[in-house]
Amino acid sequence: MTPGKHSGSSARTANAGAWRYRDFRGGEKGWWTTPQLVATMPVSPAGSHKQQNFRLNIATQPKKSISFFATMKATSGKGYTGANQSRMAVSKTVLIPPELKTADKTNLSIKTMQVFDINGTDVTPRPLYHPDPLTGTAKPNKLLTSQEGSLGPEFISSHSLYQNTINPSMLGQFTRSVLGSSTVSKSSVSTSESIAEDLEEPSYKRERLTSFTDLQVIRAAPEKIVTKEDREKNIEIILTETETLRFFDLPTVMVSVESEEAEKVTQRNKNYEVLCRNRLGNDLYVERMMQTFNGAPKNKDVQCDKIIMEDKGIMSTAWDLYDSYNAMELLSLSVKPSVVESSSETNVLPKDQDQRLPGSTTEKNSETSSLMDIENVILAKIHEDEEDHSDAILKSDKFHQDLFFMERVLMENIFQPKLAAYRQLPVLKEPEPEEPEDFLESATHEEVEEESKKEEEEEIHAEESTIPANLERLWSFSCDLTKGLNVSSLAWNKTNPDLLAVGYGHFGFKEQKRGLACCWSIKNPMWPERIYQSPYGVTAVDFSIGAPNLLAVGYHNGTIAIYNVRSNSNVPVLDSSESPQKHLGPVWQLQWIEQDRGTTGDDKREILVSISADGRIAKWVIRKGLDCYDLMRLKRTTTTSNRKGGEKEKKDEALISRQAPGMCFSFHPKDTNIYLAGTEEGHIHKCSCSYNEQYLNTYRGHKGPVYKVTWNPFCHDVFLSCSADWGVIIWQQENVKPFLSFYPTTSVVYDVAWSPKSSYIFAAANENRVEIWDLHISTLDPLIVNTANPGIKFTTILFAKQTDCLLVGDSDGQVSVYELRNMPTALESGRGDVIDTLLGSKSNQPA
Amino acid sequence: MEIGEIQSHKGVIGTMVVNAEGIPIRTTLDNSTTVQYAGLLHHLTMKAKSTVRDIDPQNDLTFLRIRSKKHEIMVAPDKEYLLIVIQNPCE
Repeated sequence: MTPGKHSGSSARTANAGAWRYRDFRGGEKGWWTTPQLVATMPVSPAGSHKQQNFRLNIATQPKKSISFFATMKATSGKGYTGANQSRMAVSKTVLIPPELKTADKTNLSIKTMQVFDINGTDVTPRPLYHPDPLTGTAKPNKLLTSQEGSLGPEFISSHSLYQNTINPSMLGQFTRSVLGSSTVSKSSVSTSESIAEDLEEPSYKRERLTSFTDLQVIRAAPEKIVTKEDREKNIEIILTETETLRFFDLPTVMVSVESEEAEKVTQRNKNYEVLCRNRLGNDLYVERMMQTFNGAPKNKDVQCDKIIMEDKGIMSTAWDLYDSYNAMELLSLSVKPSVVESSSETNVLPKDQDQRLPGSTTEKNSETSSLMDIENVILAKIHEDEEDHSDAILKSDKFHQDLFFMERVLMENIFQPKLAAYRQLPVLKEPEPEEPEDFLESATHEEVEEESKKEEEEEIHAEESTIPANLERLWSFSCDLTKGLNVSSLAWNKTNPDLLAVGYGHFGFKEQKRGLACCWSIKNPMWPERIYQSPYGVTAVDFSIGAPNLLAVGYHNGTIAIYNVRSNSNVPVLDSSESPQKHLGPVWQLQWIEQDRGTTGDDKREILVSISADGRIAKWVIRKGLDCYDLMRLKRTTTTSNRKGGEKEKKDEALISRQAPGMCFSFHPKDTNIYLAGTEEGHIHKCSCSYNEQYLNTYRGHKGPVYKVTWNPFCHDVFLSCSADWGVIIWQQENVKPFLSFYPTTSVVYDVAWSPKSSYIFAAANENRVEIWDLHISTLDPLIVNTANPGIKFTTILFAKQTDCLLVGDSDGQVSVYELRNMPTALESGRGDVIDTLLGSKSNQPA
Repeated sequence: MEIGEIQSHKGVIGTMVVNAEGIPIRTTLDNSTTVQYAGLLHHLTMKAKSTVRDIDPQNDLTFLRIRSKKHEIMVAPDKEYLLIVIQNPCE
């Protein structure tokens, strides 16, 4: 809406006489506005005198409207002395710009408004304030509000003086509505700045509005960086006229002297002046006073109870928040079940209630468990409940587990030096005055404990040269249950190196007592973790490889049972006592073997192989139950096949059975198809899984039952055997004659084992001695000899894999753990070197 | 696995089970000592638990061991109870 139009509607004298309003709409296509900035509306106002001097700032320049203040300021001093006059001046200025504008319509160049006085001096006022173009939208509002604030009172007083036409236009740049009046009022204030500001705004409302709308739209668009090309581009801006919007209509209080009403107005004015003069003595205007009644005030006091204030503080911790969030979810789930629980059982309180108990200071917790509170009331927590509750605690699983861990921790403390030695950690010294350094990280969980691993003992190295190698007894696994039983077999768990299976049972037929298979843990040397009892003596144990929780136990009556060590129950998972092909004699050895290919065609199948005194080597497969296949039937080999020239054939003996009782076997470490079997006759047969009728080879050397045969873990051609004929023999695979034999004492050798660390070292347990042999040092004497207490026989030995320790089982039910100290540094376990060295240094000793 | 067994281990001075409110359920020491231990260790356990969980709210305290000159105090905390064992580890 143009000022002209507006005035036309309201002022009625607009288009005539003293003020000449131009209708701007007519030619105003030339108003250019910047596409980006609203604030920079070209300032058109100018005083009449300024017409010649101003150059309008064409819209393309993204300058703040404030820059235009400058132009106005120059004129402001001149024109705005009185409200009316200023108004008129303003109105005049409103008129002018269109002319100029049209002239400059096509001018897109960026120009600044400059003010020159009559002499041509540049008196362009500098702007007081440079608003940021990017915040153009915000700033104008601020400006406006500030203006408004400052002009509030004045506004009211001067409001009547202003014509409508100017108001909206003055405002146009910022907002359209009430602000117009405020800007107008501002102009009444004869501060040059404010007026200047006002003047700056007055681009014509119409243009402002159009540009405003346009600009509003554009403002919403993201700002683009103006590149050089952009600046030089010709941007076409099309302005269109909106409809005329009427925001404010203030009837004018000024009347043109040339209008029709002028005379009436003049007359009325004159009448008023006369009236004012006549007021003094006039009867009509009498001063009178009035009295109003004041009500009597009444005071009223109110007293209330003291409002008790309570401060409550809570420390909000990260876990508290976490718990609260989770509790919210759990609460909805747990409400229903807990209601059922609490109604039925009085002893076991729901978990959520318990949450409340441990002095929870969190309000959140109390809120979430408020439902539980109700149930508490119902339950009527009385003393009996407490007692029941405490019983519940003691019986709970968690408590048992905690007890379990606690015991482990205690054990660790008690046995700390021993366990440390076992694990090859520095031993914790406990001097009373000093603070001990704790090398062992304190942890109860098995996993954590197993992580705290090996460091070399420097002391040992230092002492090595002076002290000969010896066995140091660390501790022994024994408890009341095992007292008096004979340890018949030892086996490590394949995945948990701390878990040991021990089978207790007597070897001889006459000495049969009840049997026991126990699982011991290194961490608790005082009590076994699992106890499986049976009426028959246990003769063989082995842990499975593929399923490390399965323990196979062989009994003296030929039964094989498989236990799941995860559970404590005495009942085996699988039992072969029902199987028609079960062994008829004691099962002397059990071993789980992983076979690369099975006869069934599966690959990497794990089978359980057993050898027993009934002369059968059987393969057990777990399908629906224990299924048994015979791998080999050990036939008695008559000596006819071992003819040495001159020996006569033995006469046929009346044999009770054609089977030779098997005592032990050992699968080849590399080729699981080949295995050795030792028999009671003293022969060692090399057999293959593919042939179950014939032996591949027979090694004769022993004269008594072969109790143990074992391959060398490093050198795959060599194996070791021990027998009741007091002898330990080393064999080479290709040679049926013994390679090296040892007869250290005149007692039965029950067990031999190769050391896992060196291919030269092996251990042998005969009745009253444990011997460690190191072939590299001497083949005549053992390196270490450890004598047993009288009356106790050593029956089984087993090396510990990662540590330098040896486990020895004896006939009293004790499994002692010895540490090998000051062993000569293990050489690189050369594979073929062993044979070469031995071959070179030794001549073949006749068996 | 019983409480009595724990007590019978070498070097164990005392064993006690205290419920969440600090009332001893089972103890092998006298009442005043038990109450004192329970009260003090309860606070310490709460603090330790808060520390552990502040670092990672999904973590939780499972065991606490305090080694002093004279003996070692081991605490297995739980929501409902505290299992406390005092042991003299070296003989």
